[in-house]
Amino acid sequence: MRGVIKTVLVGLAVLGLVFTYGSFAKAENPKVIKLGCAISFTGGKSRSGKLYRDAYDMAVERINKSGGVKVGKDTYIFKIIYYDDKSDPTESSRLVEKLITQDKVNFLLGPYSSGITIPDSLVAMRYKIPMIEGGGASGKIFSRGNKYIFGTLPPAGQYFKSTLEMLKTFKPVPKTIAILYADDKFDVSVAKGTQKLAKDMGFKVVLFEKYAEGATDFNSVLTKIKSKKVEVVLVAGHTEESLNFTQQAKELNVCPKMISMTVGPSEADFRKSLGKDAEYIYGVASWSTQMNFKGYLFKDTQEFVKLFKAKYNYDPDYHNASGIADVAIFKDAIERAGTLDPEKVRDAIAATSLDTIYGHVEFNPNGQIKGTSVVLQILGGQVYQVYPNGVKKPVYPVPCWKDRK
Amino acid sequence: MILQIFINGILKGGLYALMAIGMSLIWGVMDIINIAHGSFIMLGAFTTYWLFTLFGIDPFLSLLASMTVLFILGYAVQRYLINFVIRASAFITLILAFGIEIFINNLALVMWTADVRKVKVPYGAANFSIGNYITIPTIRLIAFILVIIISIAFFYILNKTNLGRSIRATSQDLDAARLVGVDVARTYSVTFGLGVGAAGAAGTLWAILFPISPMMGGVLTLKSFVVVIIGGLGSMLGPLIGGLTLGVTEALGSNWFGSTYENLISFTILVLVLIIRPKGILGGTD
Repeated sequence: MRGVIKTVLVGLAVLGLVFTYGSFAKAENPKVIKLGCAISFTGGKSRSGKLYRDAYDMAVERINKSGGVKVGKDTYIFKIIYYDDKSDPTESSRLVEKLITQDKVNFLLGPYSSGITIPDSLVAMRYKIPMIEGGGASGKIFSRGNKYIFGTLPPAGQYFKSTLEMLKTFKPVPKTIAILYADDKFDVSVAKGTQKLAKDMGFKVVLFEKYAEGATDFNSVLTKIKSKKVEVVLVAGHTEESLNFTQQAKELNVCPKMISMTVGPSEADFRKSLGKDAEYIYGVASWSTQMNFKGYLFKDTQEFVKLFKAKYNYDPDYHNASGIADVAIFKDAIERAGTLDPEKVRDAIAATSLDTIYGHVEFNPNGQIKGTSVVLQILGGQVYQVYPNGVKKPVYPVPCWKDRK
Repeated sequence: MILQIFINGILKGGLYALMAIGMSLIWGVMDIINIAHGSFIMLGAFTTYWLFTLFGIDPFLSLLASMTVLFILGYAVQRYLINFVIRASAFITLILAFGIEIFINNLALVMWTADVRKVKVPYGAANFSIGNYITIPTIRLIAFILVIIISIAFFYILNKTNLGRSIRATSQDLDAARLVGVDVARTYSVTFGLGVGAAGAAGTLWAILFPISPMMGGVLTLKSFVVVIIGGLGSMLGPLIGGLTLGVTEALGSNWFGSTYENLISFTILVLVLIIRPKGILGGTD
């Protein structure tokens, strides 16, 4: 009996210690706002995942160095807790749950790719923790009445809108379009949206073809493009597929008047890998380094581009900018809410009206950013915004592979 | 257009065949399903990439280098790793190969990051045309010819040399081979080395044609597996037939049904072959 009492007492003492320690830890200065993020360090999405991690880290570092986050009278700093989701949606949603229940994060930053964002956002909704994500643009993320998800990439279906508008300004206006897309959620949304837009604008979509994500071989599809004499080819896919497609188009000497790709052209790696063959390829992006917006964390876009390049030694693209905006929005919303209460911060995020280096941020009622995309083209080894208000004029039709020097 | 698609398929099929030769050899002789095969192909591809990027060695020249490097690696892996479980059930060797795969992939990921890289040769996407309708990518054609040469070399090694006789004897009857004085342990190591060396060659050609990354191996293992099953074990012609069948069917299929169905088509063939000819097109009937 005595032994039991002793054990209980010791147990209580230990518990007491833990609690006192806990309250000491809470009083620690500066206080910490924990942001949780399950994102791809490894696997197929790891390249783009890194772009977001770099951006998140840079934004957080910037905020913490320049005064932190003011909540009422207190000053907090941000701390990101990362987990590697191995590019697997199931793993990612499990990790988000772990972040919320075990690591007790205050808020969530998004993963990369629409397919992973969908399950993650549902976990956020279940626990009523707001998530701001910069890496998923599929309409399916925002069509579920989920109040806790906010996205800073413009709607997928509108991605090629600016491109189609640009086509209308060419003389003669091209008539035939081929749309190729990977069978993942984002690209399907892009393709379906583009198909509808193109039809409404009077283009003829002569080829509308889906390929398996990660496909390496485009010979069949290229042969079709050649035999149908397609004028404009729009590809919604990922970097590796864009690389393969371009190289094989050259191998088979397929030269439409224009090739445009959602992912690839804006990335420095794409241009490095293809060298001269990347020339004249069109791209779309919600953002480009040639824009100049007044910033929130940075003076303006150009200052951000310079600092980013100095820090990471590559040119930022829209993934990075979107990631910076995500963290900036959290800081702004938390400060406006004046509390860390998830509900109140959620409402503050929904009411965001903020100038960032990524552009002016406001959200639609469904949580997705109000925004559009710009048309890019690779000219002389550099990416230029060519429409609207381009820095350079678009080259169209592009010279055939054989006629290039 | 059909002719062009047919040519695309055959050229791709050649590459599939080369990928599968090594897997078929190891499987046939040692009864090991080498899950790590794709990872060895990846290592071959990176050998070529680094030789080209660091020393400017032409990828076609580095073919020999990557075969040699991978042969030595394969020999060592068999001698000092797989050899310990070679008498265990096929399941155990499968698990070990799986472990090797995970190890190699993640080591590559740590060393080289997940970046997609590309061997940028000046003759990159050269091609020539026959008539108005047919374009043949030169590199793919050269790769195809190399595949044939390497297949013939393997055929020669297996059928005409003492080493080949030991390998075949070991695969046919282990005890009898021992009785007539074949050094089984060494034969196994050499076989594994040869198989992995062939994977290295496939990696080199892959690196010339496609972008490479540390995680590229998984799909390649699958394709090799399908090719081996289709072609049937036990002959050097098997992978060639299997590869060409797969290449052409995929090309025709993705033309008729759309590119999404490429994998569906390859696995449908796999299932059909397993039902109709469980031992593969060229496999025996026993």
